[in-house]
Amino acid sequence: MSKRFRLGVLGLLLTLAGSPLAASNHLFYLEAQGVAGYSASASKTIFYSQSPEEAMQKPSLGFDYVQRFSGEYGDWAVLAVQFRLAINAGPKPTLEPQVYNAFLRLKLGFVALWAGHNRPRFGLAADLDSHSLLLQPLPMNGFGFDRDWGLGLERDFSWGQGGLSLTSGSGMPLHLKGNYFIAGRITRGVLARDNLSLGFSVGWGRILEVMGTHLMSDTPRPFAAAGLDFTRLWNNLESRLEVLAGKMAGQPAYALFWRAGVGFFEENRLKIEIQPVVLRKEGRTQVLLSAGVSFLAGADWTLRGMVHFNRETGDRLYVFQVYYYKGIRF
Amino acid sequence: MNHAGNLLRRSTFALVLSVLLAARLFPAVGCDLNDPDRDVKRLFPGATSYKTLYVSVTEKGGAPLLRRIEARLGDRFKGLYETADVPYTLYLVYKSKNLIGYIHGVNQKGRYGGLQVFLALDLQGNIRSFYFQKLTSQYAKLLRDPSFGRQFEGLNLKDFNAYDVTTGASREGGRVAAIRNPAPQAEDDFRAALRAVKKNLILVDEFLLGNQYLKDGAQP
Repeated sequence: MSKRFRLGVLGLLLTLAGSPLAASNHLFYLEAQGVAGYSASASKTIFYSQSPEEAMQKPSLGFDYVQRFSGEYGDWAVLAVQFRLAINAGPKPTLEPQVYNAFLRLKLGFVALWAGHNRPRFGLAADLDSHSLLLQPLPMNGFGFDRDWGLGLERDFSWGQGGLSLTSGSGMPLHLKGNYFIAGRITRGVLARDNLSLGFSVGWGRILEVMGTHLMSDTPRPFAAAGLDFTRLWNNLESRLEVLAGKMAGQPAYALFWRAGVGFFEENRLKIEIQPVVLRKEGRTQVLLSAGVSFLAGADWTLRGMVHFNRETGDRLYVFQVYYYKGIRF
Repeated sequence: MNHAGNLLRRSTFALVLSVLLAARLFPAVGCDLNDPDRDVKRLFPGATSYKTLYVSVTEKGGAPLLRRIEARLGDRFKGLYETADVPYTLYLVYKSKNLIGYIHGVNQKGRYGGLQVFLALDLQGNIRSFYFQKLTSQYAKLLRDPSFGRQFEGLNLKDFNAYDVTTGASREGGRVAAIRNPAPQAEDDFRAALRAVKKNLILVDEFLLGNQYLKDGAQP
């Protein structure tokens, strides 16, 4: 990074930051996180929360940008961009660009259309924001994608939401090798309003095996699955349950996911969660047990810890995260 | 080692950048409608569209404005959800090209974590609808009952100026005093809701109505 470039970036950001508006149509957040832990089986310090190949979570610096577009008839589109530059720590550290949100969402009256990199409408992960969390839902284990490149349609109803997506089936990196992923999801209940929601998802296609930004195989594999999920909030308790079943690469595959959490103190600043997951794919059964704790240290700082046990490998990970998320005005 | 040194330098640059920008930073906690397309139509059945704007106390007036808002509220801003630089999301609601009302929500400390109270307002700041977005209490069903929300309809900041958010007391015979708690077991959340409504109305008066209710001499 040249000195000229650095000064340029600095100047630009300070200029942007120095022109406050009374009201704005965009939000820009700076995000930074430190992640470190210990792997019992490897007997070494680690700088990731799941695996070195996966995107989440690693020490990183990033941003989250939301821009609304309005005309004289009101809002007509939203642009969302979420980017991180993560560090793969090791003897030879490398920088890893990571794109999460990168989509334009257009209001078309009876339906909203998005195009870009967004959550495919499959499974609980379609409605669960895990961007900053240590505990991760099923896409981290090969059942669906956290984000994928493509198109989607969504419509909200008084009773819930319905949506369809056609995406590349390649996750964070865009690859076109005959791969695709079609998904549909319908939910009954609006979680924030009803404190419960029941979802039904189907997904099929030919998908690539990817871990984070890494393509593990060049050959798309057939995938077809359906699932049910149920989320319930009650006082300071949360429970999320998901069951997926289908075929992956021609073999039976299923997943059972449960996350239960309880909040403590004012504003639920302290949260403790457990997350057992059972997976069956490629003829192997895996049991993953995780427990997490998070503490909102302030409006911008969150501290998280996680213990993760993989019964198949016998590995135990102890991970700690410091997470910072703060808006920049310009 | 050279590679790692480069990484360290880049990280340091990023950190320095963050610190330099700190004076212009704002916290993450805002209060958006979960689904504005659906909610705007529900709260304003005649609406055809809406515009979304983000505003903070820091942007609109900084510390002096915060002090004035606290004085009008009769309580200090505190906790994760009440800092001067929280970005408030304002929805301007239109019928064709005509502005017909506003929707604004606030976070409020409740019995179990935060709750979110949205108000749909006409152009004069009178409440058209009261709406709990987030409320996880086991008594949520009672508090979300339309009959509870209807008690707020037609009220404005003038009415809430007679309500003391710290004691829960209200002027006898006042319209706020007439609001009945449908869940006596959830008194904490009931009072949190009333505080949230008063705070919401004050912020709308400051951000959108040009302090109409200060000009009317309606200050507490």
